[in-house]
Amino acid sequence: MSDINPALETFAQEVDELLTAMEDALLVLEATPDDVDCINSIFRAMHTIKGSAGLFGFDEVVAFTHEAETLLDKVRNNEHLIDAQLIAVLLACKDHTAQIIQHVLSNEDEPLPIALQQQSEALITQLTGTSPVAKNMTSTQENKADHVEVDVNTSDSSDNWIISLAFKQNALRNGMDPLSFIRYLQTLGKIIDVIVSMPTSLRMEEMEPEDCFLNFKIVFNSRADKKTIEEVFEFAEDDCNIIILPPHSRQEHYLQLLEHFPEDQLKRLGEMLIEIGALTEKELDCVLKEQGSDHNAIIKPVGEMLIAKNILQQPVIVQALIKQEAIKQKINKEANYIRVDAAKLGYLINLVGELVISDAAIRLIVDKHGLSDVNNVVGAMSHLVEEIRDTALQLRMVQIGETFTRFQRVVHDVSKELGKQIQLQITGGEAELDKTIVEKINDPLTHLIRNSLDHGIETPEERIQAGKPEKGIIQLNAYHDSGHIVIQISDDGKGIDSEKIVAKAISKGLVKPDQILSQTEIYNLIFEPGLSTKEEASNLSGRGVGMDVVKRNIEALRGSVSVDSELGLGTTVTIYLPLTLAIIDGFMVEAQKERYIIPLNMVEECVEMNSTEWKIDHVQHYVNLRGQVLPYLRLGDFFHNNKKHQATQRESLVVVRFGEEKAGFVVDELHGENQTVIKPLGMLFENLKGIGGATVLGSGDVALILDVQGLIQYAKKRVSPTLALSMTD
Amino acid sequence: MNPLIHKKDHKTELATQDQLRQYLTFQVDNEHLAISILDVKEIIEINTITHVPMTPAYIRGVINLRGNVVPIIDLSARLGRQSSEISKRSCIVLVQVDYKDDIQLLGMLVDAVEEILEIPESNILPPPDFGGEIRTDFIQGMGRVGEEFIILLDINNVLSIKELSQLKQMADYEGSDHANREAGYIASK
Amino acid sequence: MTKTILIVDDSTSMRQVISIALKDSGYEVIEACNGQDALNKLTGIKIHLIVCDINMPVMDGITFVKSAKQLDHYRFTPIIMLTTEMADEKKQAARDAGAKAWVTKPFKPPILLSAIAKLVLP
Repeated sequence: MSDINPALETFAQEVDELLTAMEDALLVLEATPDDVDCINSIFRAMHTIKGSAGLFGFDEVVAFTHEAETLLDKVRNNEHLIDAQLIAVLLACKDHTAQIIQHVLSNEDEPLPIALQQQSEALITQLTGTSPVAKNMTSTQENKADHVEVDVNTSDSSDNWIISLAFKQNALRNGMDPLSFIRYLQTLGKIIDVIVSMPTSLRMEEMEPEDCFLNFKIVFNSRADKKTIEEVFEFAEDDCNIIILPPHSRQEHYLQLLEHFPEDQLKRLGEMLIEIGALTEKELDCVLKEQGSDHNAIIKPVGEMLIAKNILQQPVIVQALIKQEAIKQKINKEANYIRVDAAKLGYLINLVGELVISDAAIRLIVDKHGLSDVNNVVGAMSHLVEEIRDTALQLRMVQIGETFTRFQRVVHDVSKELGKQIQLQITGGEAELDKTIVEKINDPLTHLIRNSLDHGIETPEERIQAGKPEKGIIQLNAYHDSGHIVIQISDDGKGIDSEKIVAKAISKGLVKPDQILSQTEIYNLIFEPGLSTKEEASNLSGRGVGMDVVKRNIEALRGSVSVDSELGLGTTVTIYLPLTLAIIDGFMVEAQKERYIIPLNMVEECVEMNSTEWKIDHVQHYVNLRGQVLPYLRLGDFFHNNKKHQATQRESLVVVRFGEEKAGFVVDELHGENQTVIKPLGMLFENLKGIGGATVLGSGDVALILDVQGLIQYAKKRVSPTLALSMTD
Repeated sequence: MNPLIHKKDHKTELATQDQLRQYLTFQVDNEHLAISILDVKEIIEINTITHVPMTPAYIRGVINLRGNVVPIIDLSARLGRQSSEISKRSCIVLVQVDYKDDIQLLGMLVDAVEEILEIPESNILPPPDFGGEIRTDFIQGMGRVGEEFIILLDINNVLSIKELSQLKQMADYEGSDHANREAGYIASK
Repeated sequence: MTKTILIVDDSTSMRQVISIALKDSGYEVIEACNGQDALNKLTGIKIHLIVCDINMPVMDGITFVKSAKQLDHYRFTPIIMLTTEMADEKKQAARDAGAKAWVTKPFKPPILLSAIAKLVLP
């Protein structure tokens, strides 16, 4: 549009005049509160400013003056009393209107300053007694609806809309020119054919020259949707019967939309059809009205009426009805879910834990007294207890996918902030784990992802220079492995510079300058408190800052975390977490009269410790198990380093595995599988490695649960570094 | 003077009114010690104590208390003396200590529980600045009973989770010392 | 033939902007600042469409539409009323008076242009 500036000047001038008039009128009103002319003049000021502001697209002004206008309209209609207080508010409104107009005129594209926005809100609250938020929302929605994009030119299908128009007798008298609508229709597509007819019942002698008796059938080719086409005739609706029948290609489109119709809510047939655009609200209203008005006859279903009235083709209706039925069934199925307070579930699982212990106690007594006839009953009960345990634990299992998906937003926002291009790829979201763990893993995951965003992925320029695609990728993956869930966060960023880390660790005194470290040990330094490789920590995170916290949080969940990286190619952080914190299948062993539990899913095999067959290196603490070098710990000696070692007749080697690592525990006796209710050891043992928790045995005694990963580390440390290196290969 | 004493005034009005304080006395390594009765949750007999490896001597182990696992502190070892020998009179005094907005239940292994004493506040003196065998911050005050003085322990310091959980001896396991020691032992066998 | 549109609105800036937009689209424009002013301008010249505000001083829009519908030359002229969303009764009153098309205020020029185009193409 040209020459808008003079119009803006006029607008400014007009606003000035109107507001001055408003102020004058308000002051008069103070003395004579029922002066109608004054009230009208105030109303008109707000009304006119709102209208003009809308024309220029000054939405803030419109939103504000609208509220004032609404209230003033009420005053005008004696629905609202004008008093000194209201006059004061209106005076403030007048000043405020002047201010915001001043702002929008001088800074057209900038949003209102906060102060002005707050003032607007405060005044609107005073005017309406409500917050303006809801109103604004609807208005933006309306705006959205206005911008229906119509692709006019690309219609290539021979399928056509059939539009039937039957103008009423008075159409011409009401200023409706049928031709003008048909002409306008051409802006949306191509008119293939127009058939004009007259009602057959028409008798010439009854005809007035000003009457209209024209019926049109228009064959119309367009990509526009039904609503857009219907809107062409919006002004004619009083004077014309309109039927718009979609083309066949549309029909397929509708069928497709119905196929993917959201199944979260049961909707009426009409609502569904409107939602996919097959039916317009006006058409539905019309049909419903007819359905309602027919008092005598049996009420016809909407679907049938739509077909009978030629508004929609049968296949669409049939498909919609099928879909509706499917949704109904799904909703019914969903209605079978019960929301349960997590605390109640927790209590249930605690009780199940106690039940498992009681069960063990009963079996112990039965064994002790040799009550063989009770054995069967006890066996059956034990089986039930086991099933109850599994079912109870399953209740708390949730998929990790939802937690993962939430990071899309973090990645999107932070990468934008950092000026990086980063894509988050999620796999394995269907892996399940205990809800209590899911809740607690969120923080560490956030931190690790932010680290990847911040320090892992390079800027687009750096990436191009390094010969990588401009867009960086962060992958979140989850899978189950031997009773654990493994979560991996990998990026294709610049990787970790081990030299830098070592230098930093030396300067912090974490490592001695002459110390030889394996690559894994170097990466693990990242988890040491206060180690940050970034020279300047960004405002989001500094790598190293909080990595120790990440590690602690994960270990508090009886999990572990490790890092692998390749300089220039990327970093992968792997988190191992137990599936549940409540009850596990355990394997009980005994060493020096103490009983210990090893999580069963970490036990690879048990073999007799036989020194004649294998090469056992007592100094290096490893055995050669079928050609495999396996570090081992003699649990009794290791745990009771002050006590004297008693030569035991027979020893067993329990081979355990954690991730890629294996070790053997030498024990005196194997007691077999048992259900282990995990009891936390408490804050006192927070820093204790090698022991993961405790459990109460059937006898009432406490047995410790071994932290297999921690113990493997001890076992490996005792083997000489050169051997350790050859083992990792 | 001591915030702890102050706090307890709110807990029991009785104690405030007649200015009498009740203390549980017990024996540790042939010495009489006492703690405020308000700190005592329960006194229980000794069942099996499960030893927790790789912990300092003052952590005696854990017990099963009605389905919960409760750590047991060897008070004698904690006060820098030798570990208690379990006898018929040995008892566990259960106490609660605060840590990080949480409460931790702990058992205190003592050689024998004696009696509940009422000591008027005027007979409670501040801990000596020096000279004692027991760390000054472990002592809440000295209670005078007749001509004798009895040490009143401040359990929140004696059983400070922050301090106890340091588990310094763990270092032995991490480093090579222990491994070598054990290796040597086996080799010489 | 160029189509002529009469704009009746008390806001000068409103008239000015509408008028610019319409002229840009190829219409001829006549302006009036209230109902009375508009009636005075209906002197037999051909007018293809009237765009009319409701709330105006001197003579409001509905009174004007009623009067215009009485005039021989203009009783078939389509009329677009500019209404506010709150004025449902007003809308009905306008409908009764003979106006069949509306554009809800506030609006941006393209909205009004497409409404006009439905009734009178330039």
